[in-house]
Amino acid sequence: MIKLDNVSKSFSQFNVIKSVSLTIDKGEVHGIIGASGAGKSTLLRLVNLLEIPDEGEVEVNGQKLTNLNNKELRQARKSIGMIFQHFNLVANKTVYENVAVSLELANYPKKERRNRVIECLQFVGLENLVEQYPAQLSGGQKQRVAIARALANNPQVLLCDEPTSSLDPNISAEILGVLENINKVLGVTIVIVSHEMEVIKSICNRVTVMADGEIYDTVLTNPIGIQHIDKSPSYFVEQLAKVGEMDDA
Amino acid sequence: MPDILVQYEAEIWVSIGETFIMVGASIVAAILLGLPVGTLMFLCRKGQILENRLVFTILNLLVNIIRSFPFLLLVVFLIPFTRLIIGTAIGTAAAIVPLSIIAIAHYSRLVEQSLLDVPKGVMEAAISMGASVKEIVFKFLYVETRSGLVLGLTTSIISFISYSTIMGVVGGGGIGDFAIRYGYQQFKTDLMIYMIIIMIILVQLIQFTGTTIARIIDKR
Repeated sequence: MIKLDNVSKSFSQFNVIKSVSLTIDKGEVHGIIGASGAGKSTLLRLVNLLEIPDEGEVEVNGQKLTNLNNKELRQARKSIGMIFQHFNLVANKTVYENVAVSLELANYPKKERRNRVIECLQFVGLENLVEQYPAQLSGGQKQRVAIARALANNPQVLLCDEPTSSLDPNISAEILGVLENINKVLGVTIVIVSHEMEVIKSICNRVTVMADGEIYDTVLTNPIGIQHIDKSPSYFVEQLAKVGEMDDA
Repeated sequence: MPDILVQYEAEIWVSIGETFIMVGASIVAAILLGLPVGTLMFLCRKGQILENRLVFTILNLLVNIIRSFPFLLLVVFLIPFTRLIIGTAIGTAAAIVPLSIIAIAHYSRLVEQSLLDVPKGVMEAAISMGASVKEIVFKFLYVETRSGLVLGLTTSIISFISYSTIMGVVGGGGIGDFAIRYGYQQFKTDLMIYMIIIMIILVQLIQFTGTTIARIIDKR
């Protein structure tokens, strides 16, 4: 579903991503975890080419994004949803308009737009707030609007950049529940970047641990516990293991 | 109504009309050309979606140069250019040329600065949804910054009124010119003061309207 092949990215001489390869399967909920500055957000942003890699290839849905021209890339991005830590809603658009704009961009049939927007807002439980502006919503509600906006065009993939990092723990759990539903009910492949172990542990099938611009480890998380694929010591892997043990106890 | 205003009523109406024509033309130029120039300047900045150092540097320099001129000198400097496009450098129509040029430079700078306030995340969300440059501008940037654009235009219009008072030097007429020729040069100080009062009322009305509209459309 998503294939990064030897991608590198540097910002003014600083190598943020050092020749990373990663494959994420269809239907997976994939976590990317690491300390600040490890390159995890950059890695995520390479998937929809918000950051253009200096080297390497990016493939999503069987389409090599790195080979596309501008117009084709814009088209491809319409089937890759993305949500952000700070929601990034348009403050001067209502909840309805914020979701509808993503349909407008994709030339979704005009007559069916209203139904589709309401459908998406129902999915995230906000159908009663259509005429509100973002300033009138709580953080959790704003993130739900952002999720509805990202879902509107039936994406194959949903990229989540620290989706719960500015939310309270209980609201955070609700948002993770919504994401889990999106994966289970709609079959959307999800990639989540987070620095919070709980987030990763609660919904991911597989976790990539980033350190210093490289993949340190890839870990399978499943109900039985945590299974290392690539056994190398790392702070986050140890943390993950501990969380797993606590569950077992 | 004071006698002196009754005596000069016809002239006053004519000069108010001239001011409206000059300021109106400036507003049209500001919106039709200042808005796109300011937007382009913003989009060509470092790190923005059309990043282009050459275009940015040229536009930035032009806007700065035009705004550096004492306006009276700009009017005189532009006389050959005005004559080229209008056919004459004298009169209200000719006055529109320098006024439009300063209007474009003035408003484009305010537009560029308003756009800088749009959170970078909103741009990123737009890009991630596959928006084109045109869609980013009209469906995101202008929506997010609309109250700033209105407030900027309000400030600009008030400056245009002030600039228009100078146009007497090329026979552009207007309230300012009337106040100087009849009020000041003919020692009718009361007439001059009445003209200043008209200007004050005009500016207050424009500022009030602009501020009110900006407040209503701002949902941030």
